[in-house]
This record gives sequence, C-alpha cells and structure tokens, in this order.
Amino acid sequence: MNQMTREARLLQTFATLADTLVDDYDLVELLQFLVDTCRDVLDMSAAGILLADARGQLEVVASTSEASMLVEMMQLSAQAGPCVESFRTGHAIAVPDIAASPPEWTQFRDSALSQGFGSVDALPLRLRDVTIGTLNLMRATVGPAPAEDVVAAQAFADVATIGILHERSLRESELITSQLQAALNSRVIIEQAKGVISQVRGIPIDEAFDLMREYARAHQMRLSLVASSLVERTLSL
Amino acid sequence: MADFLVAALRKLDRAPDAPRAFCEVFMNVLPVSGAAVSTLGEVMGSETLAASDAQAARLDELQFDLGEGPCWDAMATGAPILQPDIAKSGRSRWPSFSDSIVSEGVSSVFAFPLGVGPLRFGAIDLYSTDRVRLDDTQTRHAAAMADVVSRRILRQAITAVGVEPDDTTNAFSRRLVHQATGMVLAQIDVSADDALLVIEGHAFAEGRPMMEIAQEIIGGQLRFSRHGERIEVDR
Repeated sequence: MNQMTREARLLQTFATLADTLVDDYDLVELLQFLVDTCRDVLDMSAAGILLADARGQLEVVASTSEASMLVEMMQLSAQAGPCVESFRTGHAIAVPDIAASPPEWTQFRDSALSQGFGSVDALPLRLRDVTIGTLNLMRATVGPAPAEDVVAAQAFADVATIGILHERSLRESELITSQLQAALNSRVIIEQAKGVISQVRGIPIDEAFDLMREYARAHQMRLSLVASSLVERTLSL
Repeated sequence: MADFLVAALRKLDRAPDAPRAFCEVFMNVLPVSGAAVSTLGEVMGSETLAASDAQAARLDELQFDLGEGPCWDAMATGAPILQPDIAKSGRSRWPSFSDSIVSEGVSSVFAFPLGVGPLRFGAIDLYSTDRVRLDDTQTRHAAAMADVVSRRILRQAITAVGVEPDDTTNAFSRRLVHQATGMVLAQIDVSADDALLVIEGHAFAEGRPMMEIAQEIIGGQLRFSRHGERIEVDR
C-alpha cells in the first residue's frame, strides 16, 4: 500500500466507494470508511462527519477516533465553529490557523488547540441546494490544506451525500429526513453497543468501537447488525 | 400471552384518558369491585391519581392518613401484597386500617407496587366486597399490568419536568446517554428502552441532569444491579 502513489490510492478509494454504492451497504460503515480514508490518504490528523437531525442539530455519525475529546470538539464546532458555518452556508469553510479564529468560537478553539490541532476545513455535505451535514478535516499543522486535498475531500463528501440520499428524489423532503434519521438512529445503537461492550468486558468506552469493528470485519457482518445484536443481547463479544 | 391480556396491556399503554382508564382495565381483567392508582412517598408525593369509585378512593385515603396498609407494604417491599380475607389475616398487620375497611364492607384487598428499576413511587390498590382470591396467573397478569402503568406514570412525570435529554442537552451529551444506556442494559438485563427509562427515572428522582447521571454510569461511580426481580442502585 505504501508503494502506491497517492493518485493510485485515491483511485482505489473511489473504486471501492463505487462498488459499495451499487451494493447493499451499511451507511455508518461507509461514512467510517470515508473519514478513515481522509486521514490515511489525504494525511489529515483527524476527520469526522456530522449529520443534521430533524431539527437541524448536527450530530457526529463517524469520526477517525472514538475518543470522547475529539467527538466533543466536533460537537462544539457544530454549535459555534467552522462546522456549523459550513452547514448554514453550504460552502467550504477553511480555517488555516485555529488560534486566530473569531471570539465566538472560543470553546471550539480551546478544545482544538488543547488537542494539538492547528488548522481545520469544514466541507458541506450538499446536494443542489440542500445541505444535510458536514465533513470536518483536522490537521496538526497551521496553514491552508493543499488545494488538491480539498478537491478530493469534497468529492468524498459528495459521495457520502449520495450514499445517504441515494436513488431518492430530493423533492421528497420527508424521505430525506427519514433517511437521515435512520443514519442517526443507527449511531444511537452503536453508542448503546459501545456501552454494552464496555460493561461486559470492563474496558473504557473509547476502546469498545474498535472491538466491534474488528468483530464485524472478521465475521463479514454489517457494523449496524453487530451493534443491534449486542444491544439485544443475542451476541456477546 | 393471552389475547385479553395483550389488549389490556395495550390499552394501559395507550389509552388517552389515563390515569382514569387504568382502573377500568384492572377491573375488566380481574375479579375485583374497585381499583385505585396512587403515587406514594418522596419521589412523586402521595396522591391518588385515579379511583374507580368513592370506596376505592376512601381506601387509599385511609392508608395515607394512617400511614399503614397494603399499598405502603407493596411499595416498601416491591412485591404484590395479597389479602383475600382481610377480616381474618389483615388485623395483625394493619390493625386500624383493617378494622375501618371491614366495617365498610370490604372483604379482600390486593396491592401491586408501581416502580421502574430501583425506583418505587406508588401502588395500585384493588378491592372486592365479596371475598375473592387471585390465583398465580391473575397475580402475574396484574403485576405485568402494573409494570406498564409504572412506565407510563414515570414517563409522564419526566415529561412534565422536562429532564428528557432531547429537550435540555446537546448531541454530545445524548451520545453519553446512549453509551450509559448500553451499560445499564447490560448491568440489569433489560431492553434499551427500559434502561433509558431507569436512567431518566434516576435523574428525575435526584433532580439532576441526565448528562451527569450518564457520566457517573460511564465512570463507574454509579451502577445498577439485579437481584432476582429487584433492581438496586449500587454506589
């Protein structure tokens, strides 16, 4: 994998995505694959996808780390920060120097700086004039992200949008809401399953997600099925 | 599960005219002449929510005034109290209460506790002027019905004060609440819905935010445990 050029890895990523989208796929897994790819192929330090619920509140549905500090920082960004700006405007918001961000973003800024992040880009998950969430890319360095990385990341964000809204007409706004809600609900069950694993195995919550993913991969099961089986106690890890 | 019981549970769960409808459902399913639903103790205060008739209301009122009776015992023990012949066997347990109701023509009294998880907050009293007994199946049915009523009363109380996570807290704390729900459902072997209600009930009873309770559960400072049918809070 390391021998491959970045272009080759990007191509491979899109091929994987295309394969996934024509098949029956697990949305949370797809979004997880996208954020992991942003980190591994685009050299981001961390990445996360947030989706808006029925009331327009943004929630983290996938992130490169389940560490609560990172998730909390993204939620702060969704209250006052680049994430909510991108969601509101439907445009990409570049913050090349987090330390110089506006005073309204203090909570986000402090949290990001304390975790060693220097810059961030928030990209909209948008189809025509409807924005359903954002992709957030965190970097340890200060300075703008390479332009070609932003282009590739926006393409990932578009794939994520299509993945969520696939084959549905945008005019059916109720349907969009229900699909978004389904994605958010599967995240609820994943969080509950993390709690179950943490309780049963006596490990920290933040480590439970990896165990669940490993199990899903090893048994070729969908992540959301593993999660719901854990919650219903028909499966134990 | 028998059809009539399924219908009764559904009605208890959804009847729009609750708590009034609760009494009627109990009287339809069980061989009793009256029913009363009351909250008791500190969590929700002592109050009769609904009574099928004046005598049922009076039965509850007496127990509040005297501080003794089957509803208090049901709440204290978390188990049904069955007194098919109160004149014969009630006097040693509740002397004042038994004398009063026997003189009013009541022959049998039954009380089922109301509660969710470790939280107990009331009881359902059933009485009969004829002497009747509840067999094991009827007792199980009544207990299942009391469970549905308990959840509904707790949900209503929680909604009234607004401790539900969606209203008061942000997405991050909801995530913590979901994680805590997973831990609690594994601790006491209940469904996710019930585990969430146990957490909400705890927040409600302590008058504290859900987020705090969730953090204590995740941090291990607060945990719940099951001892047979009973669920307790460990600290």
